[in-house]
Amino acid sequence: MSDKTKNIVVVIIFVLFLVMMMLLNIIKTDTEISLSERRKLAKFPEITVQKILDGSFSKEFEKYATDQIIKREGFRKTKANIEMKVLRKKDNNHIYQYKNSIIKMEYPLNEKSVQNAASKINQLQQEYFRQNKCYYTIVPDKNYFVSSNEYIRLDYEKLQEMMQKNITNMEYINLFECLQLEDYYVTDIHWKQENLSKVVEKLSKQMNFTVNNIYTKNEIIEFNGLYAGQLPVKTKQDKICTLTNQTVENATVYHYENGKQTKVYDEEKLNSNDKYDIYLSGPTPMITIENKEAKTNKELIIFRDSFASSLAPLLIEGYSKITLIDIRYMRSKDIEKYVKIENQEVLFLYSTLVLNNSSILK
Amino acid sequence: MFLWSAILISLGLLVLFKYSDFMIANVNNLFQTNISLLNLALPIGISFYTFQILSYVIDVYQGKVQAQKSFIKLTTYVSLFPQLIAGPIVRYIDIAKELDSREHTFEKFALGIRRFCIGLAKKVLIANQLGELCQIFLQADEKSVVFYWIYGISFSLQIYFDFSAYSDMAIGLGKIFGFHFLENFNYPYISKSITEFWRRWHISLGTWFRDYVYIPLGGNRVGKLKLLRNILVVWMLTGFWHGANWTFILWGLLFGTLLIIEKIFLLKKLEKLPKVLQCSYVLFIVMISFILFNANDIGQAIYQITGLFGANGEGFINNYTIYYLKSYFIILLVAIIGATPIVKNVVNKLKEKATLKKVLNVLEPITMIVIIVIVTAYLVDNSYNPFLYFRF
Repeated sequence: MSDKTKNIVVVIIFVLFLVMMMLLNIIKTDTEISLSERRKLAKFPEITVQKILDGSFSKEFEKYATDQIIKREGFRKTKANIEMKVLRKKDNNHIYQYKNSIIKMEYPLNEKSVQNAASKINQLQQEYFRQNKCYYTIVPDKNYFVSSNEYIRLDYEKLQEMMQKNITNMEYINLFECLQLEDYYVTDIHWKQENLSKVVEKLSKQMNFTVNNIYTKNEIIEFNGLYAGQLPVKTKQDKICTLTNQTVENATVYHYENGKQTKVYDEEKLNSNDKYDIYLSGPTPMITIENKEAKTNKELIIFRDSFASSLAPLLIEGYSKITLIDIRYMRSKDIEKYVKIENQEVLFLYSTLVLNNSSILK
Repeated sequence: MFLWSAILISLGLLVLFKYSDFMIANVNNLFQTNISLLNLALPIGISFYTFQILSYVIDVYQGKVQAQKSFIKLTTYVSLFPQLIAGPIVRYIDIAKELDSREHTFEKFALGIRRFCIGLAKKVLIANQLGELCQIFLQADEKSVVFYWIYGISFSLQIYFDFSAYSDMAIGLGKIFGFHFLENFNYPYISKSITEFWRRWHISLGTWFRDYVYIPLGGNRVGKLKLLRNILVVWMLTGFWHGANWTFILWGLLFGTLLIIEKIFLLKKLEKLPKVLQCSYVLFIVMISFILFNANDIGQAIYQITGLFGANGEGFINNYTIYYLKSYFIILLVAIIGATPIVKNVVNKLKEKATLKKVLNVLEPITMIVIIVIVTAYLVDNSYNPFLYFRF
């Protein structure tokens, strides 16, 4: 190619790229949410004199432009490919692959946050459950199972020490020893319900309730978790499975948020964006699971995050009623409006991810 | 009088917007007063366009160039957007003719695009990545001696790639619009002395201070003491131009002092050393200077510089350092090679052969488009902001 032709080609390609990108972005309708990031995407900002003068319009427009650009996910995948395959970076946006599992790095240990979580738990116990038997447990995130020589991870020992030091009047149930990386989904942050038998056993021993731990395993649907497609690597697809027996089948779930009654496994949620929501219908401020066939009148209150959604159905056999409260979605001071506090047992169950980012607890 | 009033107004505005809070803070510290800071928003590009206006006014006064009678053309010169924000400082005398008439050709346009894309890639793919690494270091609880060195090297490379990228983009955009802006960087990290470094680094600023401050003060045609004064004044101002903080003043004075030392005796001694040692001396001094440049205050700079030698009690290396060294190794390597003229020399050598030149001509448009796509991918990914607790 001669210099003259090359110059013409360069100019045409460059101008065409700019014009085409502009036109395609004008034509494209805005996307509501990003499934991979689990957030609402920015909308075209309101144009006001005030916003133009204080610079907020241009800031918001820039956010809108990068959120709504055509083929956004494709561009993001291109970047991930370059980071991991060309530049040989060990992670992309703090997401990495370890032994086939896709993991989001959680680092460093946020001591203030852990202390805040411990204070919150203490405060709840002191305020509402002075007379109740209280337990707390910590669910390790997937980083815990990663070799610290290969990746950087939280100081989990220190996190547990801090919780044990700061939380008073409660019994600690150590689940770290009951779990391994294989007990978690490959493409998601959560643990697999079908791998929780050791966890249930540990809880039942320490909390003194009885469950048979005998279930029928049902493979429900193939599942792409939160981190699926975030890295340019091939991973096997996850499967959502449910464990059922007579008790679980007959248990009913009441949702305080909308007054609805559902089964423990809400198959309607299989059409939603997050199939893990099949367990107790996903994130919700407060629900109760009732076991009308219970041979006991023991009740349990669980202050929880999403890890409890797949665990709680396996505990219902040991209780007549389990109340699950998620103070990420409701204010803890409203508890008394909805729960009559009697002699229930109380379990605080939080993952290390929430403890290390506890400002979300209300 | 017109000259002085023009200078005072331009510098007055620069001082008001850029330096007033610095001065108030120092007065408050010195006299234990409590004068409120003005917190004025800094007009975009004020440091650059102020110097451009001054060069125009002084050149017209000295009769080096005729006054521009068209207000539109004059304001076009002052606010020309390609170089408004980050330079180079374009002198009116250099583009006076082009303000009146410009030639547009495919060759110039294509050259401009190439230069712009190179700048864009330098900024987004190298400088921003190194910036990430520097941020990781600054926020790290687990530092190590090796990490201090990685930070020093990374920041030196980041500032070069960032600053020279903006100059590349400005020069490229200028070419697209038919202007010819002078080069601002010329591989400064291959310099063999600090004197040479400043002939290769931010050339437009160095020549501006030389022509409008150093020479009017008498330059080097004065006695030894006045010469020392002139050099220190110029470098103190050079430092202060970069930012309203004592770290910048100290940074400028550090270079002023080194240039004096080189002028007096060091330059001759350096010339006798192997080139590797000459370059190492420059790179080490420049790295130290940029650690100072990037520090929030002098205390932090001293802490980081002493950290290079293990004086802060941190270990030599740790897992955290190894992780990020592995993660950023290729980028660091690319940046180090890119800071030298190796690639440019190889391409020029290849172009000497007719067949290879044809191949390179085919590759050029492909490379340009690949760069634009990759840069877009990186810019889009900046908006990645996952929210774990979203309820669909």
